[in-house]
Amino acid sequence: MIRVSGLTKRYGDFTAVHGIDFEVNEGEVFGLLGPNGAGKTTTVEILEGLRPRTSGEVSVLGFDPGIQHRILKDRIGVCLQAANFPEKIRVWEAVRLFASFYSRTADGDALLRRLQLWEKRQSFYSHLSGGQKQRLALALALLNDPQLLFLDEPSAGLDPQARLEIHELVLGLRAERRTILLTTHYIEEAERLCDRVAIIDEGRIVALGTPREIQDRVIGASLIEVTAAAPLPEAPSGGWRDCDSFSLSGDRCVLSVRSRVLPATLVDLVKWLDASGVVLRDVRLQRPSLEEAFLELTGKRLRD
Amino acid sequence: MSRALAALIVVDLKLAFRDKVVIFFNYLFPLMFFFAFAEIFGGRDTVGQTVTMVLAIGILGNGLWGAGMRLVQERELHILRRFKVTPVTPLPLLAASLVTGLLVYLPAVGLTLFLAHTIYGMPYPQQWASLLAMTVLGVIAFRAIGLIVAAVVNSVQESTIVIQLLYMPMLLLSGATIPLVLLPEWARVFSRFLPASYLIGAFESILVADRTLAVNLDAAGAMLLTTLLATAVAARIFRWEKGERLDNRAKLWLAAVFAPFLALGTWSLLP
Ligand SMILES: Nc1ncnc2c1ncn2[C@@H]1O[C@H](COP(=O)(O)OP(=O)(O)OP(=O)(O)O)[C@@H](O)[C@H]1O
Ligand SMILES: [Mg+2]
Repeated sequence: MIRVSGLTKRYGDFTAVHGIDFEVNEGEVFGLLGPNGAGKTTTVEILEGLRPRTSGEVSVLGFDPGIQHRILKDRIGVCLQAANFPEKIRVWEAVRLFASFYSRTADGDALLRRLQLWEKRQSFYSHLSGGQKQRLALALALLNDPQLLFLDEPSAGLDPQARLEIHELVLGLRAERRTILLTTHYIEEAERLCDRVAIIDEGRIVALGTPREIQDRVIGASLIEVTAAAPLPEAPSGGWRDCDSFSLSGDRCVLSVRSRVLPATLVDLVKWLDASGVVLRDVRLQRPSLEEAFLELTGKRLRD
Repeated sequence: MSRALAALIVVDLKLAFRDKVVIFFNYLFPLMFFFAFAEIFGGRDTVGQTVTMVLAIGILGNGLWGAGMRLVQERELHILRRFKVTPVTPLPLLAASLVTGLLVYLPAVGLTLFLAHTIYGMPYPQQWASLLAMTVLGVIAFRAIGLIVAAVVNSVQESTIVIQLLYMPMLLLSGATIPLVLLPEWARVFSRFLPASYLIGAFESILVADRTLAVNLDAAGAMLLTTLLATAVAARIFRWEKGERLDNRAKLWLAAVFAPFLALGTWSLLP
């Protein structure tokens, strides 16, 4: 659906995107995750045919967005990070107006209902809440019934409730097997919504894969925490297979083991516990989060 | 294309009538002049003159301010960006602005004629078809000039300055507010190069002297040519967002837009 190779974008002397490569496959939700100024919007808007690229190969639905942007725009759905509507346009008027631009249109009323804007269809744009404005932006992005959607920070600046609504909608679109490229700087959003994620920082992709793969790739170890009913016996001197380190609590009832290869360590540890006749009260596993992965890969926190 | 144009016109019209500034400049402002002029220049005998001036003032405001500001504002407010991600092209957007300006303005013409008739006893124009045609040509020409201003300026402030630079001379030196006979010689020469002078000349000839458009073909032709040139150039150099840079050569095209009137002015000054 999307193929990008060696994409570079310069603004004057400043290089915003440094030769990035990625592909987005049909039916997948692909996330560009990165801090402010990483180059997410630049990348996405090049793919949408809104900005020219400096160099590199780009193909979207088989079209070159730098050349065949009109036919491309007829087929894709776009939610811009920064866009506005006239204050005094009514919701249904905006829907009807934008529908007139496409060669193929979905049912506008059905879209308004789906995005919970039916009650607000007579409202002026300026009277909508932030969440409603964002839902209208999504409704308009879906007007041409696109198989490929670009959502640039669809939930930025929304309260948690409104953000959850947007997440539900995106998951619904994913269930319909629409292909989605979304950008975000919320880790939870990427983890929850995306099949694959590219972490982008200062115009470079520093990691790419499923959220799980990215977590696994970073060195930050998983943690196994075992709580026993009675004090635990002395641990073997070398610990367990592939474990990094371990520690016992003061009452010797809680054992924390850090592991680089979780399954191997876990099996070894369970065998030892069983052989020692320990009665377990609780077991907890903690994988490094995408947030930790991000911190390790970029040395940055995500939130501004 | 035509579906988009129709939808754009409908929405533009609704937005126009929801905007107090539009109502003020198209209806109230010219009417203020109407009553003021009618009192200053006396009623009955000169009412045709007064109507001519009022129509010109309305068309200047509708075109330069109405068309010139709106697109710039929409570009600054990131409204045009949203259009940029759709397959729509600049031409229907610009054409919709021409048509909307005309539809907003026509009732003002009717209102002015009605008031002139009932209050000051002006007969309804004999050459009403010519008057209508000239109104149409005048409104779209000045809308198109407004659109070309919007196309070349980079901000609302710049647009205000450029529009003032066009608006004030045309308001003051073309006969729209001060009758040309009261102006000094240099101003009368200068007025030959102003599009507004030709608009006023044509209205005067149609309204006061009951001539037809056929007698005013030079003015009509220049209006039409300006409309076509300005709209074509505005479409060509159209910018959807502030970040887009304007090719410097494009600014030269501006001269072409005013060329018909420069030619007419030069021609009229030849011995
Ligand atoms: N039109 C432009 N001209 C010059 N520099 C630009 C332009 N657009 C973006 N930049 C710069 O390019 C870099 C990447 O910007 P971009 O908007 O793509 O980042 P982003 O990842 O989308 O950030 P955010 O999370 O804040 O939206 C930034 O340093 C920005 O200042
Ligand atoms: Mg961005």
